[in-house]
Amino acid sequence: MTTISETTPPQPLVERRPRPADRSEWWAALIFTIPFVIIYAVLFIYPTLQMIWLSLQKAPLIGPGTFNGISNYVRLFHDRLFWVAFWNTAYFVLLSVIPSTLLGLLIALGVNRLKGFAQSIVLACFFLPYILPVSVVYRIWLFMLDQQFGVLQPIIAIFAGTHLNVFRTLSLFMPAVAFVTVWWLTGFNVLLFIAGLRNISPDIYESASLDGATRWQQFWRITWPLIWPVTVLVLTIQLILQFKIFDQVYLFGDGGRSDSTMGMVQLIYRNAFQKNMGGYAASAAVVLFAIIVIFSVLQYQLLRARGEK
Amino acid sequence: MFNNGRIAVIRNIVRAALLSSALLTVGVGGALAEDTIVWWDFLGGGDGVRMKSLIDQFNTEHKGQVQIQATTLDWGTPFYTKVQTSTAVGQGPDVMTYHESRIPLGITTGALSVITPEEQAASGIKSSDFEPANWKQAQGPDGKQYAIPLDIHSIILYYNKDELKKAGLLGDDGKPKGLDGAANFDAALAALAKTGVTPLSIPTADGATMWRIFYTLFNQQNGAQFLSADNKFLDGDANIADATKALTEMNSWVKNGYTPAKTEYPASIALFTSGKAAMHINGVWEVPTMVDLAKKGQLFDWGAIQIPVFYDHAATWADSHSFAIPDRKGNEVPAAKRKEVLDMIHWFNEHSLSWAGGGHLPAYKPVRDSADFKNLKPNSDYSSLAATAVFDPVSTLAGVASPVYDAAGNYLMPGMNGEMAPADAISQLQSDLQGQVQ
Repeated sequence: MTTISETTPPQPLVERRPRPADRSEWWAALIFTIPFVIIYAVLFIYPTLQMIWLSLQKAPLIGPGTFNGISNYVRLFHDRLFWVAFWNTAYFVLLSVIPSTLLGLLIALGVNRLKGFAQSIVLACFFLPYILPVSVVYRIWLFMLDQQFGVLQPIIAIFAGTHLNVFRTLSLFMPAVAFVTVWWLTGFNVLLFIAGLRNISPDIYESASLDGATRWQQFWRITWPLIWPVTVLVLTIQLILQFKIFDQVYLFGDGGRSDSTMGMVQLIYRNAFQKNMGGYAASAAVVLFAIIVIFSVLQYQLLRARGEK
Repeated sequence: MFNNGRIAVIRNIVRAALLSSALLTVGVGGALAEDTIVWWDFLGGGDGVRMKSLIDQFNTEHKGQVQIQATTLDWGTPFYTKVQTSTAVGQGPDVMTYHESRIPLGITTGALSVITPEEQAASGIKSSDFEPANWKQAQGPDGKQYAIPLDIHSIILYYNKDELKKAGLLGDDGKPKGLDGAANFDAALAALAKTGVTPLSIPTADGATMWRIFYTLFNQQNGAQFLSADNKFLDGDANIADATKALTEMNSWVKNGYTPAKTEYPASIALFTSGKAAMHINGVWEVPTMVDLAKKGQLFDWGAIQIPVFYDHAATWADSHSFAIPDRKGNEVPAAKRKEVLDMIHWFNEHSLSWAGGGHLPAYKPVRDSADFKNLKPNSDYSSLAATAVFDPVSTLAGVASPVYDAAGNYLMPGMNGEMAPADAISQLQSDLQGQVQ
């Protein structure tokens, strides 16, 4: 292998002045990015700053409020419902992020072994739930798990001894919602993993099997490290997505013990839109925002550091 | 280069363009001569179809004068949030449907405008044409009128005539007998259970239904008051006792196996329509479901009556769809338009018989007293409930999709299904709601 020092002449120590061409490149760069920056600033930066400002006030959803410092946050941390929502969200993230990632990888490995038409059909089947809107997913699973008439109740009866309304049994609520969510969203992870798997050259596997590597060794020593960047990506996306869980938890919990089953976003929604407490809801939103930023950055850094060993 | 053919084509195109723009101007000009009422509602499904045909009828009768331009939005919190946010910036409709139970919150958030007595009189709207409780529910703490009722919708007892007959509970007039009084009702359930049928199916997994049944049983007791004048929920031991009594009765049905626990809303209806359950408590809005099934010959001989009197006097939970005019900040609905809207509301009240096809009871007494309505089955079988209907407590915490409904899901639902002791559930309900009063 040649190295750079063998082929390029040594650079002069003095920095050259920017050529006129550089300046026009700057202009081009500006013209292309300014529209996005403006839209981003108006639609994201400005509302976020407004929300942080709102969280420092006692204000309704619409209309002016009075400044009251961090008392919203103090009240939030003493609010029993906040902690319920927080732990529910954390529990849900635990139940859904890693399983859906691993399941996506497993399915992708399996689908990758198929060829041609069979592969397309099987891939389409696994991806089909992903295109459904959440209300349809909700209806399907509510119907299948219905305590009186659901087709899955006989199976549940084998384990529980009787028909169960799964979504009205507190201990089963989150696991059931996580199960439905994994079923719904794994297809997307499968696609990402297949893209990653296809990037691994089959020659590596050939030479490994020639050297006598078992299937497990091939997976653990070749596939897993090479697919690591995709795994990190999927985990990060899933983490951010599931921290923001609202639809499924709200729908399946509606009419039931919502004070015990709600997630963080539902807490924000309830305070803002039902109780008309805009400032208080904004403080919960800021806390959630901070949690997501911290956790996703942490996770990304940790995982990447591990992978680069 | 240009030839005669091409010039002819161009000339024809120009002529056609001039003609069509002239026609357009005349057409648009003609349309501009008639007024438009912008209307928002939350009525989907069967209700939506019925309302749409009423709107079409109105538009046909008032062609050239005023037309309704209707939009249907999502039912529940999204509708009320949208109304609130749009009126705050001067946007929004000229008229909207509004649950009377949501009016307290609507007034506090400034979404509703006052309808003065002079305006009412000018359009022929009289308070004497409505039930006093229904009319009062649309008023604010200042006694001013913020909405005009359209209907009263409530919960009723659906029953299977064949099953009731087998258990000896059917009178000669085809109506149930022996259900009044809590002890009699429980005995009736036991008798039905003996014949092998599920006596009573209720959406026991649905907090909203829990609230409606609880509120009904609670208010049937003398002196019961859910919200006191000084904004206290279940104030005093007597009210707590009444509330506990109501919830204990509901729980006894589940405990004794008369009502399946934690049944979802669609399943509870299916239990009844499939003949597995002899009786069913649900809203009047399921009447079209029964009527349609019966028309197709897929339903047994069924009927519906007012909820029996369990305790001291008749009472049934009710809410009311009403019409309200939004208070658009900086862009108020002009006086002439308001007159048109109120005339329109009066027209809808006079024609509310077809609205009753959705199971609702017309709020307008002249229609309820008419011969046509008296012949409308099954509505006329339960229209007696209008006189003793009890509406949701007047509080910003009450109403559709409100903290009160959430509390019903959190405490009444587990209380009925046996997850919480009724006394425990009531005391937690009381402290939860009281803690939210600001």
